[in-house]
Amino acid sequence: MTQLSVNGHDYAVHGDVGTTLAETLRDELALTGTKVACAEGHCGACTVLVDGTPVLSCITLVHTVEGSEVTTIEGLRDHPLVDAFVRTDALQCGFCTPGQIVSAVALVSRTPDPSSDEIKHAMAGNICRCGAYPKIEEAIRTWRD
Amino acid sequence: MARLIRTEKEVEGRYEEVWIVVEEDALEQWPAGPRRIVGQPAARIDGRERATGQAVYTADLALPGMLHTAVLRSPHPRARVTHLDLAPALALPGVHAAIGPGDIPQLVDECNYQGVAVAAVCADTLAEARAAVRAIDARFDVLEPLLDPDEAVARGHLLAEPRVRSRGDVERGFADADVVVEAEFRTQVVLHNSLETHQAIVEWVGDGVDVHISTQYIWGIRDGVAEGLGLPPDKVRVVCHYMGGGFGSKNSPDDYTFIAAELARRTQRAVKCALTRREEHTAAGNRNATIQRLRIGARSDGTLTAMSGEFVNAVGWGGWSSSTEGPMQMLYACPNVSTTTHGAKLNLPPMKAFRAPGFVEGTFGLEALLDELAAKLDIDPLELRRLNHADQDEVEGRAYSGKNLLECYRRAEAHWNRRHEVRSRSTDVVKRGVGMASQIWYGGGGPPSYAWVRVGSDGRAAVVTAMQDIGTGTRTAMAQIAAEELGIPLDHVTVSLGDSARGPYAAISAGSSTTPSMGPAVRAAAADARRQIDEIAEQRGTPDAPLAEIVALLEDAQILGKGARGPNPTGMQVLTFGVQVVEVAVDVETGEVTVERVAAVHDVGRVINPLGASSQIEGGIIQGIGHTLSEERLHDRVTGRLLTTTLESYRMPTIADVPEIVSELVDEPDPHLTNLGSKGLGEPPIVPIAAAIANAIRDATGADVRRLPISREEMLRALREAAAREKERVGAPARV
Amino acid sequence: MLELRRASNLDLGAGTPIHGGTEVVPQLRSGLLRTDTLVDVRSIVPRGVASDRIGAGATLREIEQSGEVPEALRDACRLAASPQLRAMGSLGGNLLQSTRCWYWRLNWPCRLHGGDECFAQAGEHGEHAIFANDYCASAHPSDVAAALVALDATLRTERRELELVDLFRVPTEDDRRATTLEEGELMLDVSLPPVEKSVYLKAMDRKRWAFPIVGVAGARIQGEIRIALAGVAPMPWLLEDGLDTATPLPRNAYKVELAAALVKRARAALA
Repeated sequence: MTQLSVNGHDYAVHGDVGTTLAETLRDELALTGTKVACAEGHCGACTVLVDGTPVLSCITLVHTVEGSEVTTIEGLRDHPLVDAFVRTDALQCGFCTPGQIVSAVALVSRTPDPSSDEIKHAMAGNICRCGAYPKIEEAIRTWRD
Repeated sequence: MARLIRTEKEVEGRYEEVWIVVEEDALEQWPAGPRRIVGQPAARIDGRERATGQAVYTADLALPGMLHTAVLRSPHPRARVTHLDLAPALALPGVHAAIGPGDIPQLVDECNYQGVAVAAVCADTLAEARAAVRAIDARFDVLEPLLDPDEAVARGHLLAEPRVRSRGDVERGFADADVVVEAEFRTQVVLHNSLETHQAIVEWVGDGVDVHISTQYIWGIRDGVAEGLGLPPDKVRVVCHYMGGGFGSKNSPDDYTFIAAELARRTQRAVKCALTRREEHTAAGNRNATIQRLRIGARSDGTLTAMSGEFVNAVGWGGWSSSTEGPMQMLYACPNVSTTTHGAKLNLPPMKAFRAPGFVEGTFGLEALLDELAAKLDIDPLELRRLNHADQDEVEGRAYSGKNLLECYRRAEAHWNRRHEVRSRSTDVVKRGVGMASQIWYGGGGPPSYAWVRVGSDGRAAVVTAMQDIGTGTRTAMAQIAAEELGIPLDHVTVSLGDSARGPYAAISAGSSTTPSMGPAVRAAAADARRQIDEIAEQRGTPDAPLAEIVALLEDAQILGKGARGPNPTGMQVLTFGVQVVEVAVDVETGEVTVERVAAVHDVGRVINPLGASSQIEGGIIQGIGHTLSEERLHDRVTGRLLTTTLESYRMPTIADVPEIVSELVDEPDPHLTNLGSKGLGEPPIVPIAAAIANAIRDATGADVRRLPISREEMLRALREAAAREKERVGAPARV
Repeated sequence: MLELRRASNLDLGAGTPIHGGTEVVPQLRSGLLRTDTLVDVRSIVPRGVASDRIGAGATLREIEQSGEVPEALRDACRLAASPQLRAMGSLGGNLLQSTRCWYWRLNWPCRLHGGDECFAQAGEHGEHAIFANDYCASAHPSDVAAALVALDATLRTERRELELVDLFRVPTEDDRRATTLEEGELMLDVSLPPVEKSVYLKAMDRKRWAFPIVGVAGARIQGEIRIALAGVAPMPWLLEDGLDTATPLPRNAYKVELAAALVKRARAALA
């Protein structure tokens, strides 16, 4: 059993060593907001925050984040970035969107007013096949509006 | 009064005859221009659910007692299974059932492409299912695969007879030409790579099945599953509330649905079968590679006299031979055109429709060669397109239902005129240039499609459909149409979709057909509801009372409106048009190509939601940049086995690859098309971008790129060749 | 059953060390790495970042964001991988990462997997090596390794000090390994001599989040210029004899042209 703190709640989770954080969140804790699109760390859909740092939950072993604070999209529902994404139409099929928002939250927490270059650099690890990128950038630039 | 008529329906360039129900009192189109709600930007009404992760995709769905599946797929492009023992798999913990060749048609022992399904196991967990598949004792006799498209053509190893389309006399046309250009173009295999992989959950319920599936075509899945399982269609319920991308690849049930259905039947449990990302690269379809050998002739004034092309679609083991010749046949006025298209049957995974199949590839070759012609004739490329504008469709001699391509060219001028300034910003090492390309594609949709509108005493309306929203924002567009027609606020309208048991037939979300197919049905249903409300108001003696006042009288009674998509205009070509102007910067020492700006002008009839429309344009352009510059599915030339099976080796654009995109829609309702005059926008934006980039590269550097993707290798090759040509030209002795 | 142990001292014992896990976890799950025990070394590997000494446990993001390290190292980190991978991945792990060669990654029985053929040579080698490629054509994918080789870094492990370039080797018939780390050996930090100027230039397939087609690191140390390349050989390639000694394969000669352009630019930047 491993102790996990997710979105301010404590859980005791049961996966064997080798279980990823993404599998634990989605399968054991039914927190399916975090998506898995590649399961190899290539696309960023599974991005969550571990102690505020954006990481790929699909290649993070759940046993290595005991004692850390995990934040998923479920814990960010009231963040102004969510409204910014919806307002600017920064999503299409929506499958990559939770991961995009988590990465964006990490960016604006450090840099509240990022430039276009800073946005492109910080968000390059979140693939969007629908190509919502221009509006994702707009959402991040205008998140405080 | 309704009647049944026979009419023509088109999806992605393929025509078929269908029966449809037509309502007699047709609605007049709205006058052109943005209205109270239609034509105004609207945020997605399900945006918050998607953004917060609350939306449940098939990938997120876990039904009670659900089992997980792993599939043994052929690792070889061509092989025979000589030995298959499922017993070791069945002996492992958590395993409930295993099936193999012969149990269902989708499991085979004659393997003709890598990724074809051979066996499948379901277990309590995915890990257990995978361990079980690894335990299967399977032996393959590896055979020599056929991989080369030209060899397949030479051998007659084709999907069907070659498609020959000719008009006029091309021999004569080329003889009449003052200048003839010809070249060979090659495009690569491109993968859809939707972020939600292909997957389905099947459960037998009573004497029918429930199918939860990530799909673009709920009703097609229903029919396909019914046929495959030998059930009456209404015994098959198909559910898809949210799906994570399709781009054409999710139009049919495919092997995973039938695998899940059979395992569900045997275990009497719900069974999920989901493709892994590597399987998605292998067994989920693709835009096939093409070889195009093109020839264009023109008079010195720029009039096209002849065009001919040999097109080889490297289709793979199945699918169909898409219309790569379409742009050459349809885009311009030219009396003499002859094309031959082969569908090469190869030991490679079958193609599937991918956002304007054939036309993306064909527009690249055609528009790039046209620019070479323009250079030889010393005529401005945009002017060359105008000169050869087709006022009516020359393939079948029909009038267009609506065509504003000249208006698109006119609006593109402002962007085209930037080219002098753009070029002037070139340095020794970074050359800048501007290129353009025209777009033609389908997008008229067609019958049948139906909707119901329910209005209650609270003055709110529910649009009841069984359509799907694949991420293009069609749900929001339907709400806008209903709100506009009923005269109520947008937030008083809900749209239900996604369940074949809870609504009437809806068209496929492919071929840019959702808005032009479902939209008119929704408007008709809302108008029917409106009419009934107006009749009540009339009876009451208050014909001008607001809707809210009339429906407040209803108590538990409801107004139920129904609407159907009427026929397309007979004898007319319903098409979409556009033009894109691209600015690029090319580092001539490293071959790096940067797309700096794209201006897109598209003509798709009336625009319902300009916000959603601009997203479709941006998305299509960005997907197009991917296939132009960095995406390629590679296979090993010796064995035919696939090499790029991860999202790291198959490189799609990131946010850092995005140029400035300026988009404009002509927004002129097609006067002959339905009660809306709207066409689809899902595909048009991806069609011309590759050609426009190639043409911008030529403008910047003089280099002719002839293949996609325009990798460093291809760019450096083209630059070297251009430099050699320049040296020859400069070094050639002066003519006396 | 996989076991996870937390190392408490430098004596690792048996097992596979894991730090950020960005190579170990995917390789474990795809069957490229087989092990019974993972040893979490995060608490024992130094992770400080200074201009002349960087802990093997420092993440690429920490190095990228440090104002102190030489430009070549900072840019190599900045242009490597994705933001999430930079936040997770350690310097040490980055140096030890395996090739991206698709034949190797897809577990074909190639020489690095103990077999007797290099499938890239007759197959698809457009992304592969142009130097030292006669036995194995794999390319070393680490931007950071090339930068550190150009910066003439020294690697300190728990048992010895060595020139960083000696951490790497070209696989041979007798020894198929790409690194020289011994059993149970743990990297601790890298130290750098005073550097006058340095630069890292990278050619990749998209603007971000791609491995180097060719990466060129250059450094001027005591008036001498050192150039090292990523993506061109089975190990980070110190360019001592120039690009004329390249031995491209039939379909990757374009890498020589590309490398030449970037080397010329790097030298100009260091002049």
